[in-house]
Amino acid sequence: MFWSKIWFFVVALAAAVAVTVALLLPRPAERALVRGEASRLQTACGVIHILLADDARNRVELAGAFARSPEIMAALEAASATEALDEGRMKQVRGIGASVMQAIQGSRKPDFAMLIDRRGRVVARVRLDEADFGDVAAGRPLIDDALAGYLRDDLWAQNGTMYFVSAAPVVKQGGYVGAVVLGHQVTNELAGRLVKSLAVDMGFHLGADSVAGSKTIAFDHAAIQAPLARLGPDAATDCEVVAPLEIRAGADDYTAIVARLPGEAGVKHAFYSVIIKRAEGLGLLGTLKAIKENDLAFGNFPWLAVGAGFVVALALGVGLMFIEADRPVRRLTAEAVRLAKGEIDRLGEAHAGKLGSVARSVNIHIDKIGREAKSAKKDLDQLLGPAPEGGLGTIDLLATTLPVPRSFSSPSALGSGSMSAPGSMSAGPAAPSSEFRFQDPAPAPGAGRRPAVPTRGNTPPPFRAAASGPGSGASMMPPPPPVVSPPSMRISTPQGPAMPPPNPFASQPALNLDDDILGRGAEPPALRRESSAERGDAYFRQVFDQFVSTKRRCNEPTGGLAYERFAEKLVKNREDLMVKTGCREVRFTVYVKDGKAALKATPVKDEA
Amino acid sequence: MRAGCSVGLVGIAGLVGGVIAALASPARAGTVAGRLELPPAPERGAVAAKGFLDRTENPLAEIKKPSLAPYYVVALEGDARPGGAPPEITWDLVGESFARPVIAVPVGAEVVIRNQSKVPRTLVAAEDKKLIVGPLNPKGTKSFRATEPAIYTIGDGDAPYLRGKLVVVATPHVAALDDAGRFELPNVPDGSYQLRVFYFDAAEARGGASGWVFATDVTVATRGKATRVEVNGKLPPIARTAAAAKPERK
Repeated sequence: MFWSKIWFFVVALAAAVAVTVALLLPRPAERALVRGEASRLQTACGVIHILLADDARNRVELAGAFARSPEIMAALEAASATEALDEGRMKQVRGIGASVMQAIQGSRKPDFAMLIDRRGRVVARVRLDEADFGDVAAGRPLIDDALAGYLRDDLWAQNGTMYFVSAAPVVKQGGYVGAVVLGHQVTNELAGRLVKSLAVDMGFHLGADSVAGSKTIAFDHAAIQAPLARLGPDAATDCEVVAPLEIRAGADDYTAIVARLPGEAGVKHAFYSVIIKRAEGLGLLGTLKAIKENDLAFGNFPWLAVGAGFVVALALGVGLMFIEADRPVRRLTAEAVRLAKGEIDRLGEAHAGKLGSVARSVNIHIDKIGREAKSAKKDLDQLLGPAPEGGLGTIDLLATTLPVPRSFSSPSALGSGSMSAPGSMSAGPAAPSSEFRFQDPAPAPGAGRRPAVPTRGNTPPPFRAAASGPGSGASMMPPPPPVVSPPSMRISTPQGPAMPPPNPFASQPALNLDDDILGRGAEPPALRRESSAERGDAYFRQVFDQFVSTKRRCNEPTGGLAYERFAEKLVKNREDLMVKTGCREVRFTVYVKDGKAALKATPVKDEA
Repeated sequence: MRAGCSVGLVGIAGLVGGVIAALASPARAGTVAGRLELPPAPERGAVAAKGFLDRTENPLAEIKKPSLAPYYVVALEGDARPGGAPPEITWDLVGESFARPVIAVPVGAEVVIRNQSKVPRTLVAAEDKKLIVGPLNPKGTKSFRATEPAIYTIGDGDAPYLRGKLVVVATPHVAALDDAGRFELPNVPDGSYQLRVFYFDAAEARGGASGWVFATDVTVATRGKATRVEVNGKLPPIARTAAAAKPERK
């Protein structure tokens, strides 16, 4: 089993390694996915920044074109020359501004315009707060720069709305007469257009408030704003510096990256976020779910290698099991069967490993049984002592203590006298191993001991061996002691009440290997006890009758014999033998010894 | 000895009488005026609140240089403490900026900030958060009194570009410069004074230096006549650090 165990260890180790690999493999993929998402977000963030800058350039150009309108120049020059602005002038200038705005072509028409004179006063507003005028807009960096002659852009946040604004100076004949400011509102539509080709979502935020976005996602702004506080002064590199954030909105998880927005709004903590829905956690199950049918195609998966590996592993395992387990067990089983059949006395001890240990243990037990049998015989002799003269007869209590082999059921085997037939313990006819006499209340005077002659034909009829033997006890001549099949009492063998006492050797069929291993089916214990009691009584009666008839043939007096006492004696004797020897049953045999009827009790230890 | 004592007593009496007579006589005050030569205007400071793009010059006209005069105030400080009822100084907030970026007020004067715009403001003095409390509504006013000489920077957290400098001095004689650098301080009593000039650098948040940039002694002696004391000087050039020249944010 050594190599089988090694192989089992190798297979278990390979399985553990396979499971470990299966659990670990998704992690690098997950990390790669996260890195890919981060890279994708950073790219999208950078692209959005570029798009916004490009949009700012277009807006500044638009403001420059607006400021170069001759009507605007004239209107602002006139307004700059007046000390006080009135509503009439405001409406006039507003009308001019509205007409110029209408003439602007393209999809990025401004959402508002401010016309500012040289003094920094707002002469008119178009499309937004149109009724307000005369306030000083100077002071705002964008307007100050425009009044000084610069074109530039900015972001304004007003009343929760964000505007991309651009401004340009209004120059007439080399002198500054004012400035124009154009504003484009930051809207969901703008956000959607920015991320249209990026497969991400984005949002514009002003502090903790969402201003616009390509998708309505409510998430924790505090968490998303936190990285902004740690950024350096250069907002243009935010997309490259900020680490992606994991945020949760409702039941969905997102990965986001944030970048500050510039301008006035930036001072008010305006920023934009680029968001992507986080891929579901991969893991083993996630990876399995992601497998496509094509992944298992013959061309994409090494089915041949996997199948060959499986076959090799299986064949190696089965081969090792056969060599190290099945074959030795079969060998031991065969030996056990031979032992059961009596073909061998002991199991071979050349078996390897545990099987050898089993064989040695069985052999040790066989030896122990043999020793105990001899010891039991000696003990019984000492216990019972010699049979008193004038008794009912002799009971040969121990013919043998060895287990009765099944082959003993053969009449021929019985006739061979090999199994301790009476008188076989010494030279000449096989003698009972021990004997005693029943106390005879009227002993026959002058009765002497004669060699025991087993009766033939007087044994109880249920036993074939007994029935087949010729009756010869009346002659009192000691012929070579024929072995008479003794009437047997199988207390533990269930039989029907009407059945004759079973012969444990003749009534059972030969056993095969399965019977030897599994044992025979047994009837319920209650039934067995009942039938045994009934049959025991019948058996004792049968033995009694045989004993009486043998005594008569031996011309022994039978007047004092009473069945009750006889049976009581047999029962007691049987119980003593069973206690002493541990046998399962006791078989009584009537025979003639020294011209007198005698009884032999044979404990049967193993009836298997 | 007795004669000497008499002379001494007479002398003391005469001195006390002279002082009383001097205090009881009408005030003799003159006017301190002059012209301070402004330094050359620096190049426009680094762009503030930059957008996505750098600002670009327009191709049709030269860039205007900023006027420095509004960023100067003059104070004539002497030994005498300001007397009489403290004046009320009004400071207009017009749109997105103060009408004058810097003003000087005497100690104890009540400063009234008047919001001329339609935008509510929440002004705060950076040096003393309790100096101005509460919002300033459109067309509304907010007044406070400065009790000690100090310099306050007034601003609105919602409009970082909106900043003004309030210079509280221990003299009632304060003035601003016109575009040519002229100033005039009327009703200056006789005495010795120091004329000091304060400059507010709008780019101080980015390294500009604000503070007293000029000082000169002035003596006013009217001798019973209306006197005009001319003080002329040349203000030092604007000191800008390298940081101030850099863009605020790219």
